[in-house]
Amino acid sequence: MSVPGDTRGTGTWVGRTVPRKEDLRLLRGMGTYIDDVPEPRGTLHLAVLRSPYAHARIRTIETAEAEALDGVVAVVTGTEVAELIPPFAGDYEKPGFKMSHRPALATDTVRFVGDGVALVLAENAYIAEDALGLVFVDYEQLPAVSDVEEALKADAPRVHEELADNVLIEGGNRTEGFDEVFEAADHILRERFRINRVAGVAMEPRGCLAVYEKSDDAVTLWTGTQVPHMLRIGIARYLGWPESRVRVAAPDVGGGFGPKMYLYPEELLAVAMAREYRCPVKWIEDRLEDFLTTFQARDHVYDVAVAYDDDGTVRAVEVDVAVNSGAYSNYPMGASLEPFQGPLNMPGPYRFRQFAFTCRGVATHTCPTGAFRGVSAPCVTMAMEGMMDRIARHLGLDRVEVRRRNLVRPDEFPYVNVVNQFYVTGSYVECMDRALEMVDYGGYLAARPPERLVDGKYRGIGIAVVTELGGHGAARYKARGLPDLPGFDTAHVELEPNGRVRATTSFSSQGQGHETTFAQIIADELGVSIDDVAIRGGDTGNSPFGTGTFASRGAVVGGGAVMRASGDLRERIKKFAAHLLEASPDDIVLEGGYAHVQGVREMHVSLYDVARAAYGLTESMQLPEGEEFGLQAIATYDPPASSISNACHIACVGVDAATGLVEVERYVVVHDCGRVVNPLLVKGQIQGGVAQGLGQALFEEILYDAEGQMLSATLMDYMIPTALDVPTLEMEHIESPATDNIGGFKGAGEGGVIGALPAIACAVGDALAPLGANVNRLPLRPDTVLGLIEGAEA
Amino acid sequence: MTARREVRVTVNGRAYARNVEPRMLLVDFLRHECGLTGTHVGCAHGVCGACTIVLDGVSVRSCLTFAVQAEGKEITTVEGLADGESLTALQQAFHENHALQCGYCTPGFLMSLTEFLRETPNPDEGQIRERLSGNLCRCTGYANIVSAVQMAAQRLREKGGVS
Amino acid sequence: MKPAPFEYFAPETAEEALALMAEHGVEARPLAGGQSLVPLINMRMAQPSVLIDLNRCPELAYLRGEDGMLVSGPMTRQRELELSETVRAACPLIAKAMPYMGHATIRNRGTAGGSLSHADPSAELPGVALALGAEMIAGGPNGRRTVPATEFFFAELTTALEPDEMLCEIRFPEAPAGSRAAFAEVGSHFGGLALVGVAAQIDLDSAGRCTKAALAATGAGERPTRLSSTEAVLTGEVLEKQSIAEAAEAAAGDVEPLEDLHATAHWRRRAAVAMAARVLHEIADEAGTR
Repeated sequence: MSVPGDTRGTGTWVGRTVPRKEDLRLLRGMGTYIDDVPEPRGTLHLAVLRSPYAHARIRTIETAEAEALDGVVAVVTGTEVAELIPPFAGDYEKPGFKMSHRPALATDTVRFVGDGVALVLAENAYIAEDALGLVFVDYEQLPAVSDVEEALKADAPRVHEELADNVLIEGGNRTEGFDEVFEAADHILRERFRINRVAGVAMEPRGCLAVYEKSDDAVTLWTGTQVPHMLRIGIARYLGWPESRVRVAAPDVGGGFGPKMYLYPEELLAVAMAREYRCPVKWIEDRLEDFLTTFQARDHVYDVAVAYDDDGTVRAVEVDVAVNSGAYSNYPMGASLEPFQGPLNMPGPYRFRQFAFTCRGVATHTCPTGAFRGVSAPCVTMAMEGMMDRIARHLGLDRVEVRRRNLVRPDEFPYVNVVNQFYVTGSYVECMDRALEMVDYGGYLAARPPERLVDGKYRGIGIAVVTELGGHGAARYKARGLPDLPGFDTAHVELEPNGRVRATTSFSSQGQGHETTFAQIIADELGVSIDDVAIRGGDTGNSPFGTGTFASRGAVVGGGAVMRASGDLRERIKKFAAHLLEASPDDIVLEGGYAHVQGVREMHVSLYDVARAAYGLTESMQLPEGEEFGLQAIATYDPPASSISNACHIACVGVDAATGLVEVERYVVVHDCGRVVNPLLVKGQIQGGVAQGLGQALFEEILYDAEGQMLSATLMDYMIPTALDVPTLEMEHIESPATDNIGGFKGAGEGGVIGALPAIACAVGDALAPLGANVNRLPLRPDTVLGLIEGAEA
Repeated sequence: MTARREVRVTVNGRAYARNVEPRMLLVDFLRHECGLTGTHVGCAHGVCGACTIVLDGVSVRSCLTFAVQAEGKEITTVEGLADGESLTALQQAFHENHALQCGYCTPGFLMSLTEFLRETPNPDEGQIRERLSGNLCRCTGYANIVSAVQMAAQRLREKGGVS
Repeated sequence: MKPAPFEYFAPETAEEALALMAEHGVEARPLAGGQSLVPLINMRMAQPSVLIDLNRCPELAYLRGEDGMLVSGPMTRQRELELSETVRAACPLIAKAMPYMGHATIRNRGTAGGSLSHADPSAELPGVALALGAEMIAGGPNGRRTVPATEFFFAELTTALEPDEMLCEIRFPEAPAGSRAAFAEVGSHFGGLALVGVAAQIDLDSAGRCTKAALAATGAGERPTRLSSTEAVLTGEVLEKQSIAEAAEAAAGDVEPLEDLHATAHWRRRAAVAMAARVLHEIADEAGTR
């Protein structure tokens, strides 16, 4: 897209497949993840004693034996910690919200298995773990509830005694005239969908290192986070310190996916203990703790009703969403995230004009839940696409035709949907048509026998047309009433004295490739090679303030900020170059590391010489009149509420008739995320997102028993996809650039997982349709699927 | 605490001698005693493969081995694959194919695959995926890793050598 | 997940190792490949105060043919069982099952004796040992004794070994000429943890008739299970579609699966039937009887 007054015209980096700059250190083992950050002398290792019960009162804690162990410096209980850290909260006083507070360590009541009750500081991690075994807690076990529907019952054990019930959040809305339209439609179909609880399982667990800075009475917290600036706000707020005394820095982070965008108790504990004991304090989460305590996701129940006419046109949709929020709401997103994102995402690419929803976030005695790639969108899209297939089956129409009749059409953009999402551009029908062509939908159906059984496998094909709401700006977070999420981001770009470019942003990276994509954007703006651009971020000590890395914000918001700041810098560089070349700034072109006069290439000056002049590193004064020394620019970017990508996913599956094991045999994606910065990286995001969605659709599941004991706390019990599970995607892009944000970009981080749940679930539903099997819950584990096959046969 | 024992190992061609408790895991020894932090801990129960190293010529999980068991042995870690700033054929193929995102699992993949390509110079996709299934990656969805192995295998065959 | 302290011994002979076992009794655990034991130690679910590392006893790692038996030391690596020509020739079932065990990097370190002694009900080698009628040679303070595979596996993670004993040798009867072997297993996804498997060795006469059938299921009970009913149905039959279906279905009555978080008992039963059918079809295809 072009911006008014755009004089770039030399851009060659954005849109190109460029291998990543960050690879070179990561491939040689030279990355610095949290446990690789050098430990200052005297570092103490923190370990947390965790509750074995889902709900219990703490009677007494005996710490003497642990304290007496060689190498143990201190054992601190929840009550003692409470004097340093007040309980913190993720939600706010507003209608429909209840405040639930979380102490950094439990003081009198534990509310899930894994809730911390005491901490140990020791010379090393081995001794710290030894000491945990010598702390003796006398618990009075209390009744617990782990299931969302059980927790809604009037006599359910209450998770927070001070609250009237377990409903933390509730809300709803109904479009005007909903009831009449709903009743007037030719047909109504109802279905209940149950979505499994899953875990992010970043390959690097969480961890942090709090370094006490004596001279400033300050603490630097190194932590594997997606949101360093948000953490600094939270830590400073809850510890009552000025922000100048807290620096939060994210090193290389081994995967984020959402769960690392929250403030965790361990981060507050490490900071508070570092100051209390005046020494560095380190906590590294192990995989068991990761499964017990890192915030999980999904665990939803959807009751859906769809009213539609004989021709398949959907007239009205009603949904009730119940979300298992776990034991506490989390800072800074709160418990409202999942319940409200479901309804917001439900209409997706469809044009029906009547919608009603109710939603609840419900506390249970389980690990808190929160953001995970796609938030509620994968689940609610599975429900919506599941209903499209049911309508088609009910009316005897082809699934494609039903979708086509309901999709927003190419000539309808810009389009405002029933929940007021603004679709500035999009390619819903085009993506579907191209994907159908790639998979040869007609050929697939024609080749398949009526019973769909080929070589012992039921063959099915699933189609998902999806939208991805991402790149949210301030308008989105303010509409949700979230005070601690600003929505904008910032970039600082400078031409360094040696003529190279350095940029810092408010983003931290967990593998997205910002060091490459942001460099591509800057390289085009400044007419340099990406090799001459260094991107840094994720450190409140030396990068500008902003929101952080989540919700597919990187290209849209980070890219926008980088584009604005480098655009400003470009204009200043031109002034310096014009001064040196005795030309007008308007005639200066930046290209290949040089500034030259348009049309007169031999009149040029290198950016090195421009920088020398700008930084006063010349024999004579070279400052243009009215200019200041230095070449740098800082800019914020606040995009529209959302930048909405879209895609069509088609999965072909084989369901083993004897075992119920589902194999994804083929997977096609046509994706539209607006202007693409780097096709290689966008494809990588989608392939990886589909893999996570495949895991959730088919086998991943965090299981609690009725008493709240977790059953799946290792990678042998909670399995994630391997290379034998995930096919190589067949993928194409369509580009409908956003016209309402600066770069034309739309987000690409979450679409993969959003499409995979519905595509795979619909494919299994299709495979088993002749049997009459109803696919309405995830995961589609072999035993579940075999049950569907046998149930249908019986 | 139990009596410490001296552990002498050669890692990437360099000799290290440290006194450690018998319970110290080899991965902790490499990371915290030798300062070689390229080998990562992803699960500490042998499933994810992030800690894979080469011990006396074969790939092993360094989270399932005690440092004392490596006494007198030769170890290669990811830091020892390439010379200086250069990349091996496999590392280069990972780079060109975007076979890594967060990079945390990558050293384990590289160590396992370096052994694999030596044993299986002309692998088909099934063999590659079978081998890859012993290492977990949460970011990439594996497709680009498969392509990287295919590219590296082809280049190594053309060169007639191993990494 | 850091191990609790333990005392560590690295004996260099089997004799020394057994003496240490006798000395430390129930406090001690022998450490073979460590691929099952060390995860438990890291999670502190096992906290032996003494570890006797067998990895420095070269005499415990061997493979040889002897009087119609394939004889393996306890410390023979699984990777060697997988790749050895001796194994492939003498006991093809072992060679066929080994690639299913863990992953290559696990098999590089994991041992024959370690897997058998650990006695995970869904592990492959115990099922193979049971199908082949292997003999386990246990060594302890009172010398050596032979335990047939049928009497070796008691329950999940429990064997006939006394606390002061260790597995000193495994003897697998060589496959008779004309026999065929196959292994199949299934999990809740591809490439991950195996849930249910079936190991089969079928002796066929020149007419393709089954003269002896040996099958065992893994993951379908608290220990590996011999599929006696399947064997009975097959014996005397030619392996073709109908006989295979009947024989496989008979496995449903032989197994006593338990429900756990991965799968229902019913699914494990049906999976055992499905895997029995799969191995028998593979054998029939190879023998050309189908």
